[in-house]
Amino acid sequence: MLKRTKKDENSTPNSVGDTLEEKPTPSSLGPTVGQERYSGEETTIIGERITIEGSIRGEENLVIEGAMKGTIEMGKHDFSIGPNGRVDGEIHAQNVSIDGLFKGTIKALGKVAVTKKADFNGEIKAKSFSVEDGAYFKGVVELDREAHKKSEATESPREPSSPEPAKQSVIPPNDVKMEK
Amino acid sequence: MIFSTTRHANNSDAESLPVGYNSTILKEFVDTLEDLEDAQTLDMGPVCQENITFFALRMGRHYVCDMFLRLKREKRKELQPGNGWKHLDYPDRNFDGIQLWDLCDHLEDDDVSRLVELCYTMLRATGLLMLIAFENKPASSIVNSFVIGQDYRVDIRPQPHLELPWEFRHNRALTSLLSNFTIVRSFRYHSGIREFLFKKPGGFRD
Repeated sequence: MLKRTKKDENSTPNSVGDTLEEKPTPSSLGPTVGQERYSGEETTIIGERITIEGSIRGEENLVIEGAMKGTIEMGKHDFSIGPNGRVDGEIHAQNVSIDGLFKGTIKALGKVAVTKKADFNGEIKAKSFSVEDGAYFKGVVELDREAHKKSEATESPREPSSPEPAKQSVIPPNDVKMEK
Repeated sequence: MIFSTTRHANNSDAESLPVGYNSTILKEFVDTLEDLEDAQTLDMGPVCQENITFFALRMGRHYVCDMFLRLKREKRKELQPGNGWKHLDYPDRNFDGIQLWDLCDHLEDDDVSRLVELCYTMLRATGLLMLIAFENKPASSIVNSFVIGQDYRVDIRPQPHLELPWEFRHNRALTSLLSNFTIVRSFRYHSGIREFLFKKPGGFRD
């Protein structure tokens, strides 16, 4: 079942490629979208009993609570896999949040966040990354090193004006024994 | 030395964990690998955001495979830890550096040997292997992650979801299990934490 968190009569539906299998969904399967994360932007939710194989291209945020195999192109919009969601494929989006099962590649313009409930196996290319302790994680992480260097360079002029706090060595030199 | 006051909820007699030290071995590990073009590193967990970000911003490609959680799952299924090694299915000579942290402390000798063998295969010649071993038995079987902070400061963060048995080894026993490697450096801190840096023999990076 596809749900939208904000009604818009004039908007066009997402283009869902290849197969879209829709089955009756109990009303109990409500959306689990964090309001703060998606406030102000329309979000489409693909329900737990939906299985998609193919490609999805969207111009608004998308949450998958069901199963998806294929390519997801969200451009500058956010994409999430819910706690029961399962995605196998490639994701392109602004920010990506993984709360369920993922296998594949993620290319995010912004941040990728993996929660402790996630089962992640894949590759991440993003500007920034977060993962909670306890996540079942196997992957490769490539972060935008140039953006990081630029942000460091932007911040550095402020440093000389504010005195740097004295660095405290928690282990005095004689606390370390060099064995070889 | 600073000691944390955090105690495990189920064990009122738990000893304080040593926290916060500046890791000489970690600095050497990073300094060496940062000089390489497109270095590839592997972190065997536990999953730690700070560490992943730290390495991903310094290395060409940073791989993570949380073997602690995988071992725990194998244990729960009453399978031998050896079943977990299938997750380390990386190509031969793929990495310039591997961080084992204190993984060996949670394995029996046969499994350490198998793990070391895999590391040897996965590392390029001159590749580095970093590991930590506790000298004193931790009061709780809860696994810790070693969280990298500024200036190579390492803090310990308990992982309550991870409980694994602990094995003590003297330095000699540990180094003999890694006899295929050349020991580059080792440190012992007064807190009882021992750090080791090993190198895969070879004339040049292959």
